[in-house]
Amino acid sequence: MEFSELENLENEGIETLPSEERRKFLRFGMAVTGVFLGGSVLSLTSARNARGGLGPIPEAGKFPYKPHYSMVIKQNRCIDCERCKEACVKTNKVPSYGYRTTILELEKDLGNKGKERVFMPVLCNHCNRPPCVRVCPTTATYKDKKNGIVMMDKKRCIGCKTCMAACPYNARYFDEEVRAVDKCNFCFDTRLEKGETKTACAAACPAGVRIFGDLTDYDSELYALVHAPEKVVWVLRPETGAMPNVFYMND
Amino acid sequence: MNRSKNSLYRSGFMLVLAVVVLVLSGQAFGSDDEDGGTIMFTKPVMAVVFEHKTHIENGLECDSCHSELFEMETGVAESKDDFTMKSLYAGKYCGACHDGDMAFASNTRCTVCHIGVKGYNKAMGKETSGASGGH
Repeated sequence: MEFSELENLENEGIETLPSEERRKFLRFGMAVTGVFLGGSVLSLTSARNARGGLGPIPEAGKFPYKPHYSMVIKQNRCIDCERCKEACVKTNKVPSYGYRTTILELEKDLGNKGKERVFMPVLCNHCNRPPCVRVCPTTATYKDKKNGIVMMDKKRCIGCKTCMAACPYNARYFDEEVRAVDKCNFCFDTRLEKGETKTACAAACPAGVRIFGDLTDYDSELYALVHAPEKVVWVLRPETGAMPNVFYMND
Repeated sequence: MNRSKNSLYRSGFMLVLAVVVLVLSGQAFGSDDEDGGTIMFTKPVMAVVFEHKTHIENGLECDSCHSELFEMETGVAESKDDFTMKSLYAGKYCGACHDGDMAFASNTRCTVCHIGVKGYNKAMGKETSGASGGH
């Protein structure tokens, strides 16, 4: 392919590129060739505009969903009391061998001050570009067009477990009784549909770790937290390009 | 060298475990150690650990806390309704020292004391509920 042909191609934009790919390209462009492509494919000068793709938070006003359900997790407040897990099990009848949400643990070495634990709550991240939905052969798992929740239609699930393999967050398990994959759905059927405003886990947390809310509600606590200028917000495994809707921060 | 140190460490740990297991579950426990040993609080949340040793090494005496802040008897603090973080922030219980002045503030570094369900299970020698089930 000639450069002249490249120039006539339509710009694909950077929205669909995983950030890892973008970084690779930039590295390649700057370190190896030093070629400046003049803006027709991916201009190095427009990297400023690519920031939206590198940051974890979907740009305000560009949400495809309303309400756009999402959750903030204040990681350093988590004390692993596991009341969230208990509440989830009770609310959603989760069997003992699976989980819709769980808490991971790691030990942080504090150098000469010994060790400290870090607890990390995890659940389905209700990604904007969910890998599980992409691989499901029967559309049993799908992204709700209205609110962005990644749902399971258990009648359609054939138990192939491809979604379990595809999920970057290990947030799915196979329900042996129903013979279908099960996962967190932000308590949509058990609470939200009944008029509750919080998920079971968020309501049960005594430490204010989980803040559930709507990303399109500019007055909500969740919106304020995610867009606070001084806050460092991160997501899990951003390199997958799944664009998750569960945001982590420290208090 | 390292190995022998490790096994020594381990046998010490096992000893502590053995002490720990002599306990009614769901209740705080102390030990009959000279210094009060390890205290594990399970209410109002699972689970908070208090090491007498650490505090004595920092120069505290028995009467620094007993019996004004805490009864000698294990489980008394837990049975009280005001044994909460809110009270700590108001200077009660641990909050008497953990105020950000004498020792780190009660509303910081949660996981120094809060070891959670996982920490409790580990101390009890139980399988921890890892992120594995059915996944």
